[in-house]
Amino acid sequence: MVSFLALGGRCFYLQYYRSRHYSEASLIQQRSYRNLLPQRGVILDCRGRVLAASNKVQTIFAEPRVIKDAKETSSALAPIVDVGAHIICQQILESNNPGFVRIKMDANPGQCSAASRIYGIGVQSDWQRHYPMGRLAANVVGFTSHDNRGLEGIELKYDKDLSGSPARNIFFADVYRRPIRAKQQDGILTNGKGIILTIDATIQQFARDELIKQYEDYQAESAVAIVAEPKTGAILAMVSLPDFDPADIRSTDPNNFRSRAITDWYEPGSIIKPVVAAVALEAGVVNKTEKIFCENGNYYGRGFGRIGEYRRGFGDLTLREILINSSNIGMAKIGQRLGKERLHDGLKLFGFGGKTGIELPGEIEGLLRPANAWTGYSVTRIPYGQEICVTSMQLIRAFCILANGGRLVRPFLIRAVVDNEGNITELKRPPPPVGYIIKNETAKWIVNDAMTGVINEVGGTGKRAQLENWQVFGKSGTANIARSDARGYSDEDYVASFVAGAPVKDPAIVVLVSIRKPNRSLGKGYSGGVVAAPVAAKIIERTLTYLDVPPD
Amino acid sequence: MSQFRFVFVIFCFTAVLVLAVYLRSANNRIFYELCACNAEMSRLKQELGTKQLLLESMINPAALSQRVGESNTER
Repeated sequence: MVSFLALGGRCFYLQYYRSRHYSEASLIQQRSYRNLLPQRGVILDCRGRVLAASNKVQTIFAEPRVIKDAKETSSALAPIVDVGAHIICQQILESNNPGFVRIKMDANPGQCSAASRIYGIGVQSDWQRHYPMGRLAANVVGFTSHDNRGLEGIELKYDKDLSGSPARNIFFADVYRRPIRAKQQDGILTNGKGIILTIDATIQQFARDELIKQYEDYQAESAVAIVAEPKTGAILAMVSLPDFDPADIRSTDPNNFRSRAITDWYEPGSIIKPVVAAVALEAGVVNKTEKIFCENGNYYGRGFGRIGEYRRGFGDLTLREILINSSNIGMAKIGQRLGKERLHDGLKLFGFGGKTGIELPGEIEGLLRPANAWTGYSVTRIPYGQEICVTSMQLIRAFCILANGGRLVRPFLIRAVVDNEGNITELKRPPPPVGYIIKNETAKWIVNDAMTGVINEVGGTGKRAQLENWQVFGKSGTANIARSDARGYSDEDYVASFVAGAPVKDPAIVVLVSIRKPNRSLGKGYSGGVVAAPVAAKIIERTLTYLDVPPD
Repeated sequence: MSQFRFVFVIFCFTAVLVLAVYLRSANNRIFYELCACNAEMSRLKQELGTKQLLLESMINPAALSQRVGESNTER
């Protein structure tokens, strides 16, 4: 009686209290899973050319734990995959993973069919990411890991959209874990969405082609070029050097992965002067005809130290002449007239000290300290590009605003997201910007008069950016790089930059070229007007010809 | 007459069995053909994808520019 009661109690315990545990354990034993991986979405340029796409490849693999005679298996497999038997044998014997040794990737159907007949050898389908344009837009597009997760660039930022959603088939399995029959599918397999960029591969090639020549000629540390459409803020090209080959990530210095146009900041130097001039005109602290005394090249005062000119001193200059001759003292005096608050707020309006919101990971804000932290040095240095750090993307945005008649623009890289049938699911172009941050006539004067003078006038620093067919506007910048080990600036290291756009009457593109640390000892020059201006001019010429913009 | 009916019933029964076997084997054959076509379609799609990527890598602006550069150097 007691035994029956004990047996009944045990049965009740197993059936009632432990039933869930044992039913789960039995399901684990009975079931086998097969993962279904979605195809990662494509990344296209604005004309539909493939920048990144996934394709299925067959991988022939060995399962060492079931192979009894590695030598025999290797000898049978060697002629099929065209790999030495001793190599295959070594791979099988020395593998740390008893379930999987990759023998050959991208095998053809004949090889797969023949290999799968050998005991212990299997064939597996994988998605492999391809970048047909290689290095061309590598810093923008980024790359993925072996398991198809985005690790850099657009691949990282839009990983969720590009990845799609996986599913898995659940099977009843026999004792050797071989599927007997399908039970159900867990999840719905959805391929990743495609992304269309604003980048035009042809313009990207023009920019990269021209930039790389100068980068190598001047043995520079790094270089950046951006081509933007000022009316919309669309980025047509964005080049970062040194770059990398997305097909050969392992041998690349990780420093080259980043897109320097948004991750690297620098003191911009004189290139920022047109922006400060526009702020000053807007604030009414200076007018277009007024002459400002530039102290013959030596300006000294209590609270702001000594300010000199880049080459020679100047006497009385108008605002236009200050910009054409790139006078530091003239700009310092304008800064003093503006004062801390108005200068700070003006630069903030142009987007300095904040992210541009471009769709790439790792963008930094730059450095524009709050006005209450400024000293007398700040109001005299910031107007000619010291004590402020900017990214190339912030600079191009500011000049797009000027070229756009003072109307705000936001740079963007993603034109649209498309589904698997090619239908647009999301238009990514930001809504038309609202409002003018400076008056239209102020912006027009800065671009059409002052910045055109920089290119065309005698003494202008941008003469090398002149073009035969189009009237160009521009501004150079030659910024000292601050020493890392001591106070002050290095006399050897510079950032040579140049911003330009064309045609003046209705700017179709704005180009920024920035070359860091051109080798001064080569004796070929190091200033923005010498190093960066010719690159900007060539990019503009080739791009306007390509875009079929009629000559002026 | 009843013998005739018996033979007729047997004949019909056999015909139905034969038809059932035929339909079953036809079903299996067509299913196999469908699977084979699906596999072939997937292979062709894969091949097309590979060729498209190969083509893209040959006609993209960077590759063309490089080839033009090389041919200019050869001259």
